[in-house]
Amino acid sequence: MKRFLLTVLAALAAIAFVSCGGAKEEAAPAKTAPQQVNIYIWTSYLPQEVVDGFQQRTGIKVNVDTYDSNEAILAKLQSGVADYDLVVPSDYMMRTLILQGLLQTLDHARLPHFKNLDPRFLNQQYDPDNGHSFPYLWGTTGIGYNRQKVKEPVDSWRALFDGRYAGRILMLDDAREAFGAALRLLGKSINETDPAVLRQAAGMLKKQKALVRTYNSSDFANLLAAGDVDVAQGFNGEMAEAVANAPGRLSYVIPKEGGTLWIDNAAIPKGARNVDAVYAFLDYVLEPEVAAKIVNGVHYAGANQAALPLIDAKVRQDPSIYPPKEILDRCELIEDLGETTQLIDELWTEVKAQ
Amino acid sequence: MNSNWHRRLLAAHTALVYLFLYAPIAILVVFSFNAARQTAFWEGFTLDWYRRLLGNALLFRSVRNSLVVAGITTAVAVLLGTPAALALARHEFRGKRATQALLYLPVIIPEVVLGAALVTFFGAVELRLSLWTVVIAHVVFSVSYVAIVVRARLAGLDPSLEEAARDLGAGPVETFRRVTLPLAAPGIVASALLVFTLSIDDYVITSFVAGVGATTLPLHIYSMLKVGVTPEVNAVSTLLLAGTVVLIVVAHRLLSSETGDPK
Repeated sequence: MKRFLLTVLAALAAIAFVSCGGAKEEAAPAKTAPQQVNIYIWTSYLPQEVVDGFQQRTGIKVNVDTYDSNEAILAKLQSGVADYDLVVPSDYMMRTLILQGLLQTLDHARLPHFKNLDPRFLNQQYDPDNGHSFPYLWGTTGIGYNRQKVKEPVDSWRALFDGRYAGRILMLDDAREAFGAALRLLGKSINETDPAVLRQAAGMLKKQKALVRTYNSSDFANLLAAGDVDVAQGFNGEMAEAVANAPGRLSYVIPKEGGTLWIDNAAIPKGARNVDAVYAFLDYVLEPEVAAKIVNGVHYAGANQAALPLIDAKVRQDPSIYPPKEILDRCELIEDLGETTQLIDELWTEVKAQ
Repeated sequence: MNSNWHRRLLAAHTALVYLFLYAPIAILVVFSFNAARQTAFWEGFTLDWYRRLLGNALLFRSVRNSLVVAGITTAVAVLLGTPAALALARHEFRGKRATQALLYLPVIIPEVVLGAALVTFFGAVELRLSLWTVVIAHVVFSVSYVAIVVRARLAGLDPSLEEAARDLGAGPVETFRRVTLPLAAPGIVASALLVFTLSIDDYVITSFVAGVGATTLPLHIYSMLKVGVTPEVNAVSTLLLAGTVVLIVVAHRLLSSETGDPK
């Protein structure tokens, strides 16, 4: 019996220490390591090839950790003891992080390749003059649908409110996106703040609820691919993936009334301790060849216009990744609405609780 | 005749219960060999996801991190929790009730609260977040589980066995080594397996305290939601499952071979 106990403990210790070698060196504090950069980023946002290229060229070690929500970045940076040198928050979270003083100002002089960025994505409301960040990748919100079940081509948000598709509609479980669809149908901006208009939109969403199969923000593309729903609101990245796997059966469109544009941004947290290394890394990802590798690897659109000619034609010409200019011009960023946010949350709760 | 009918009903019931318990796992294993990228349809057999797993450095590292954390956590928690259980089960001392209540607390406190409290604490003492802060956090709740499980085992034992050993001339160390420990062993092993499992799939607390290079498997899987979970996750889960089964079978073998050994 005693021998058994010892065996179990020894086995557990062995598991720990066998796999320990690498973990130790990664968890070591920044001071002892020669040069490294610690990145906290969305999953599948940074191809391994890009990381390897940087390590080979500079000898700077790159540590990548991944998160599943913007709120995770907020929680980590608020702790004050996270060692990240680079985070990639979405537009609305940028505003919160800047207001809470959790980000460093961005020194454009240290980024010679900053000029490669498309001005269309610069100087946005959430970060005026790109004082704290630059756009890394961007995308849209639109509608994915099953062409075998939905006979006529979808081109309007109206499809999500169409009684013919009752019980086969999916909406994102996201107040601003849901209101965005209704507001666009009313001919308004997704950043509308007039309470009367917002109530009108809430009325539409309440009526729509009888038609909706599910509200879901994480698994919409799978549900569409599986045939659980036939018309689904969703972000373009997953939708593009689903469409690519079922060409001819699934389609993704940005409605003619205009969709949502979202931008994820590279920014340096206040407590970053490897500032030189992170600027080297940031300028590296702004190089056209590297930016093109990222877009080719992750299938989201990049904001680097110098990289465009180097991106695979298949990706560059995919309208669900790079929508035509006239459609993109009709897309809007979700902006921080200040006090109106609370009204929208209340109305959304009413819709969901009904 | 009647009992035959009963037996069949019982067998059917048992089969249904096992189906309910294991069907999802079976589906997960089957779909780890599915050629389709999205998890909805069966499109033929492939070993591609296992091959891609080998090339997926981040996923691989997250598995390693999880094993490191769970291994160290289990060893530390058993070493700290077992003496605590012994003290509580065998001795009277001042503040015993308070100690007991404090020991149970980490099990009762919601994980979110514990995670937030720990990260605030690490912030206050300026301990940079890393894999070691994850280990510390896991030990915090694991010690309680070990203490509770081992104590329950000890409570069910007849103290006269230890008294008999002492009557027969065994000193305190020898009594502990040759009587108490072997008797408590099933409880210790059970608590070790429990704690290992809890540690390896903890998401909430880990998400608060993980630092640079400390993405564990649950953190990695959750973070894949943005781009959709790929069958690579099914593949890695299947491998972990296989590892767990091997571990349990080995433990079972050892346990039964040693009970037959009159030592």
